Amino acid sequence: MEIGIDVGGTFTDAVLLEDGYVRAVAKVPTGEDPLEPMLAALDTVLAGVPPERVGRVVLSTTLITNLIAHRKYDPVALVLIPGPGLPFDHYRINPATYIVSGAMDYRGREIEPLNEDEVRAAARDIAARGYRQVAVVGKFSPRNAAHELRAAAILKETVPELHVELGHLVTSQLNFPRRILTAFLTCATRQRYATFARAVAEGLRRRGLTARAFVLKADGGTLPLEAAARYPVETVFSGPAASTLGVQALLPPGETAVVLDAGGTTTDLALILSGTPLVASRGLKVEDQFTQVRGLAVKSVPVGGDSVLERIGRELVVYSDRVDRPYCLGGSRPTPTDALRVLGHTEIGDPGRAYEAMALLATDSQSPEEVAGEVLLMVTEIIAGEIEAMFREWQEEPAYRVWEVLQRRTRKRPNLLVGVGGAAGLAPLVAQHLGARALVPPYAAVANAIGAAVARTTLMISLHVDTARGRYVVAEEGYQGELEDPRHFGEHSAVQLATAWLRKRAAALGAGDEVDGVEILRQDVFNIVREWRTVGRLFDLVVQTPRGILTHVKGVNS
Amino acid sequence: MRPTGIIFFPAFDWAISPTHPEREERLLYTRDQIFEEGLLDLPGIKEFSPRLATFLDVARVHFCVPHVRDQVRDAHLIAAGACLVLADCIMSGEVRNAFALVRPPGHHAMRVVHGNRGFCNINNEAITIEYLRRRYGVGRIAVVDSDVHHGDGTQDIFYHDPDVLCISFHQDGRTLYPGTGFTNELGGPGAYLRTINIPLPPGTTDAGLHYVLDNLVLPILRDFEPELIINSAGQDNHYTDPLANMCVTARGYADLTAKLRPHLAVLEGGYAIESALPYVNMAILLALAGYDYSHVREPGYRPGMLRESPEVAAQIRRVVEELRELWENRHRVDPEAIFGKDRFYERQKFVYYDTDDIREFQLERVRRCPDCPGYLTVASSARHPGGRHYHICGISIPVRACEECYGEGYATFEAARRTGDYTHVYLQDKATDVFRAYDTETRELLDWEG
Repeated sequence: MEIGIDVGGTFTDAVLLEDGYVRAVAKVPTGEDPLEPMLAALDTVLAGVPPERVGRVVLSTTLITNLIAHRKYDPVALVLIPGPGLPFDHYRINPATYIVSGAMDYRGREIEPLNEDEVRAAARDIAARGYRQVAVVGKFSPRNAAHELRAAAILKETVPELHVELGHLVTSQLNFPRRILTAFLTCATRQRYATFARAVAEGLRRRGLTARAFVLKADGGTLPLEAAARYPVETVFSGPAASTLGVQALLPPGETAVVLDAGGTTTDLALILSGTPLVASRGLKVEDQFTQVRGLAVKSVPVGGDSVLERIGRELVVYSDRVDRPYCLGGSRPTPTDALRVLGHTEIGDPGRAYEAMALLATDSQSPEEVAGEVLLMVTEIIAGEIEAMFREWQEEPAYRVWEVLQRRTRKRPNLLVGVGGAAGLAPLVAQHLGARALVPPYAAVANAIGAAVARTTLMISLHVDTARGRYVVAEEGYQGELEDPRHFGEHSAVQLATAWLRKRAAALGAGDEVDGVEILRQDVFNIVREWRTVGRLFDLVVQTPRGILTHVKGVNS
Repeated sequence: MRPTGIIFFPAFDWAISPTHPEREERLLYTRDQIFEEGLLDLPGIKEFSPRLATFLDVARVHFCVPHVRDQVRDAHLIAAGACLVLADCIMSGEVRNAFALVRPPGHHAMRVVHGNRGFCNINNEAITIEYLRRRYGVGRIAVVDSDVHHGDGTQDIFYHDPDVLCISFHQDGRTLYPGTGFTNELGGPGAYLRTINIPLPPGTTDAGLHYVLDNLVLPILRDFEPELIINSAGQDNHYTDPLANMCVTARGYADLTAKLRPHLAVLEGGYAIESALPYVNMAILLALAGYDYSHVREPGYRPGMLRESPEVAAQIRRVVEELRELWENRHRVDPEAIFGKDRFYERQKFVYYDTDDIREFQLERVRRCPDCPGYLTVASSARHPGGRHYHICGISIPVRACEECYGEGYATFEAARRTGDYTHVYLQDKATDVFRAYDTETRELLDWEG
């Protein structure tokens, strides 16, 4: 049996799956404390189930997203090694930013040595100002982390109680400003995450659960709950990922669809292409800043079933930041849910109050039905417009190879729209607007929890090999090694090396048995030619555990 | 402030041959640098995606022998298409300027294309210019070619076009490919002084380059008042370039960009793929977007390490003075004294295609028309690598052709088809956007209309 729990902004949902069948569901309101509703939902679905029969619990939580949004995190000092390039002002994202001399180039060659005295001075100042968390980030550190490692050693030597995070361990992709921000957020949230993870583990233990616990990441993969303390930021925006995986599980394998998850305050849009959710081509934007967190390509539209509506003059206005319960559920303001109720697109709430809500918005001679139609047309147009924009972005993803540009031209827009979430009733209206088919599957209200339950562990390894220099780097592990036989190192050796490191990484994170195959995400080979002679080759490989879900939900016939 | 648009298309799966300078690896380190610096995330820089230019876009500029499809690969269409996407963004006002950081390059591709020369098959800038005129009715355009090699392809295409000013500064043709681009190449009778060549001695530094810019290029641009400036942004004047002998730095290139303020910069050559390109490309992009580029520095560069010899500086001053005088007296020129009084101006050319080892013989005739730039006929012969000999004739009718040139152009096309002297006959009617290719042997007539 598997349990999936998604702690959302308004509700916490849980499901219990057994052999692909949904055996129990729960929905409880989310309060201030992130732990309490999670345990309450867990208890609901566990009722009458022997705890030892549960093999797996997967949790999707807004904990880190909320910590970042409300800046409720630990103060962090930054020690940066940028070298030449943009002016340093671009990197001072924090009151305690220390810039030290030293530089690497794109092949990991030292351009300028690290200035160790500057690091020592920074360490003393950081300690004097009372910081305990430090992130050290160097430009091109994924290609050579020597400066980051040396700086960390000096910091620890000078001030032993500092906790030091290293940029190259947080993200292996090239983008120095994003690496700074991602390392900063990792540093800022890791302790709070660890505390939370311990509390969850304790809660599970007290219920007699021996199941393995996982947390869901933005890319729709899971990590073991406690091992994820190394990568807390990866858990942001797991909610939309959970819904998308849920839809994937509710559809037959290989299906292509747009996912519309209409919640209380936002509507999240995502794409499933031939049975696999689309991953964003770049790292996620968190609180309007670019990170290197890999996530699904989700577009969040700030309109949901509970968004407050108002009539100003003749204009109908929907507020993205003001939220009340729908009028038909006892709220004080009209909402899109009331409009859905009036026109029979949803069964929730009191119909009489829904009519009243529409009457509050009516101009002169408008009937409540007419107002509801106007409201839903407006909301539908907003969402349909964003879906169009999402298609365009997908069709115009960056392409750096001829075949990618040619392949992109063959991309056909999906014509199935799957609605889940509280206001799934919007889906048929939006689909009609787009000329697509609509589907609101069974269990649409808890698709997010289903998605969490069926998510699998995803791990990735980036291997960069430079045979001319006889070196290789496994960025995620911070490993820099020498090649045994650079002259005979070919593509096959590269794949073998990357695979071995992926297995090693899985074992280290306590997820060794979750790796039953390897998917090559990127495989670039470049000849290094100097004066018309090939002097070596560069290999860039990214391999990951296969994406996919544990099971499709049975008995839904969609 | 509107952003700078960029299309980065490194064509990581395209090369002329595995060890050729124009190979997959060329922009690899540039990618690393641009990505690692996070330049594409800056609010002042917006990345766009390329499209494929159409055969029509190509036919508007080139007579491809025997056909466009024989000379052009998808990679070429994408590089040219990237420029067109950016041209659209510039014209719509979505961006204030743009950088086509793309390969393969194009500035050595001439009007007639028998093969690849100087690493180029089709001319990205020329395709963009004809597109801008057709789609948006742009009038005057200036091309400033800052590649170390003479921009001979662009010059050839616009040699008789008074609306396109081609300025190229480059290492002296006596010391470098393609061996042309001297001060006496100034444009045909209908476009005299619309071609300016500034040959520079080996060893020219940032100081020399900026002397040329300040005292010649910028004043000429001010007088010409172009609606758009396109920069053929080759980067092989860099002091580390393996194929040339100049001493320009990344900083020198960025300062050039900041002064020139091109609407569109298009990457051309530059083969110091590790020591120059990552830094020069970054500096150019920052300069276009108005960011501070003063901290961009090549590894190993120390201020003062590149000094220009007094002889080099003196030589640069002489060239600038000579051209400056010509330019200032441009209204006093008597074309008949230079070009004679014949109804047609003719020039013979021999063109060598270094990459494909093709020798082409050309006779170009342009009608000296008082009312328009005049239609042009080019007869060209070459033996292709497969062994086949081609004798082609192309007729080009300019954008603002007069009625007479328009009619005569079509009549010449029909006559050339009938003579049987040519294997292929082409018509390029830029006035109404009609393009034809006739195969004498199969009697097949291809026809495109815009």
